[in-house]
Amino acid sequence: MRSMNLRMKQKLNEVFSVEPNDLGVGFMTNYFRKITAYLKIMPFVYIIPVTFLASIFLYFVLGRFLIKLVTILQYGF
Amino acid sequence: MDFKKILVDCLSSFLIVINRFVGLIFNPYKTMRKISVEKDYYQPVFIIGIILIYFKFIYYLRDKIYPATLTYFLFIINVFLTIIFFYLLSKLFSKNKKEISFSSFIFTFSYSLLPTIIWFLSTSILFIFLPPPRTFSILGKGFSIFFVAYSMSLLIWKFILVYLALRFSSKQNFFRIIFMLIFYLIWFIPYSIFLYQFKFFRIPFI
Repeated sequence: MRSMNLRMKQKLNEVFSVEPNDLGVGFMTNYFRKITAYLKIMPFVYIIPVTFLASIFLYFVLGRFLIKLVTILQYGF
Repeated sequence: MDFKKILVDCLSSFLIVINRFVGLIFNPYKTMRKISVEKDYYQPVFIIGIILIYFKFIYYLRDKIYPATLTYFLFIINVFLTIIFFYLLSKLFSKNKKEISFSSFIFTFSYSLLPTIIWFLSTSILFIFLPPPRTFSILGKGFSIFFVAYSMSLLIWKFILVYLALRFSSKQNFFRIIFMLIFYLIWFIPYSIFLYQFKFFRIPFI
């Protein structure tokens, strides 16, 4: 029972180690919390479709420059 | 007896590193929070060791201007400069200076190197199988779109991990973390250009 209480205390200390974020303006704080909630668990579910759409958009905007950029990036390691 | 204990410790730390890596993909917030209170120093040693293997591997792919050990040593300096910078800045910003621990920065920042390792390793493997330059054919365009999306995904993940590393290590709020990152980029961008000029790194390994 004592060890369980200790584990519970450790877990609570871990969870409350940081104060909740407050951006100063109520609606901004609300939006911030809504957006970050998606990124806390399984962020790639949202990141991968967004980056694919952004990449296709960049291809239409930049055209051949995007392909040259990939060539430069491939030498970047 | 001692050797056995060290071996068991190393093996368990290795398994924890794998577990944390998977956790950072699926549940970055909770995992980074756990990492920030970690005390097992074998874990950052493992991560730094994986990076040493990577540097030895790419030595055979890059123009052999500098030995792999030298570029690896520079990487270690980069990481330590980054950690010390954020640690000192956090101490400066924080009201309760005792709650900020240097070890927390070491653990969180060494785990935040995961997207960097994946990107650099995958790019170097792609360099072998699909060497540049990219062509303007349909396949070339398709690969370029995929590669940009892949790189952006890892970059966003990297930002998330660095933000969480700073959040749990420095205990600061969102705006202060953004300020800290801006201050960091003010000196890190010229420093990276300096390293690029001397052909140590093309893209900074951080």
